[in-house]
Amino acid sequence: MTTFLNLMVVLVPFLLITAVFSRITIVELSLPSSAGGSAAPKDPSFRVEVIVRDAGLEVSNGSLVIATLPKVEGAYDLERLSELVEALKQDHPDKDDASVLLEPDIEYDHLIQVMDVVRSGERPGPTEEETVRVALFTDISIGDAP
Amino acid sequence: MSRNRVTVTKMNLTSLMDVFTILVFFLLVNSATTEVLETPKHITLPASVVEEKPRETVVIFISPTEVTVQGEQVVLVEDILVMDGQNIDAIGTRLAQVEANVIGFNTKIVAESREVTILADRGVPFSVVKKVMSTCTSQGFGRISLAVLQKGSKAAQG
Repeated sequence: MTTFLNLMVVLVPFLLITAVFSRITIVELSLPSSAGGSAAPKDPSFRVEVIVRDAGLEVSNGSLVIATLPKVEGAYDLERLSELVEALKQDHPDKDDASVLLEPDIEYDHLIQVMDVVRSGERPGPTEEETVRVALFTDISIGDAP
Repeated sequence: MSRNRVTVTKMNLTSLMDVFTILVFFLLVNSATTEVLETPKHITLPASVVEEKPRETVVIFISPTEVTVQGEQVVLVEDILVMDGQNIDAIGTRLAQVEANVIGFNTKIVAESREVTILADRGVPFSVVKKVMSTCTSQGFGRISLAVLQKGSKAAQG
């Protein structure tokens, strides 16, 4: 019994050290393949575009800019963006694709944060403490800001 | 009296062993689910709430200074910043090489997946990431995933 216990005492710290607690996950992008010929969009007149500029965020519907969100205290106003995107999703529930367009100097971190907001929003859940994640525009393509 | 003291000093280890046994099994299972991707020390990944697990793919690291494709350093970030055009030749040749050199089962899965996972540092400018991505697509690696660290949603944190 003591030998078994010794084995445990050695194994537990060893496994604790090797255990990885920060998990890596991936964000899949929907990129147009270079071969082309992807299915035509259902409603070509309407697209969801979020443009990330140095000065702030812009939300556009493909042809004209719906809203400009300037930076608040040096950070992008992601909460307002979340509200706007949710409102857009309610107007167009069938729409799943969106574009995130960035200026070349924007840091990669901001791309991920904006993509997060566009992909899913939080709604109040059944209890007061909980929130439920809802999928918004899940097919995100990225590109250059015009 | 003395006999009593002897029974007190004898420790009962059964419960301790029960705890350790459960702990060992938990940790063994935990470490058995091997991580497909290893976080390199010099790259700080951005955090995101997505929950998708990484797969076996070609892995590209973009650190603040250099780009590494499948474990081999290929090109410097400052060179990418100053270059013209969207294709980075060095990465293109390296990707073709990955496809050509299939040794063993693991590399075969990687080469046939036609997928790329990009692990980029938080501070890397978008233009660099975009050039790397467009190089990948022009080499036929059509599916690109961006690796992030998983963070809890706001509800879980608060």
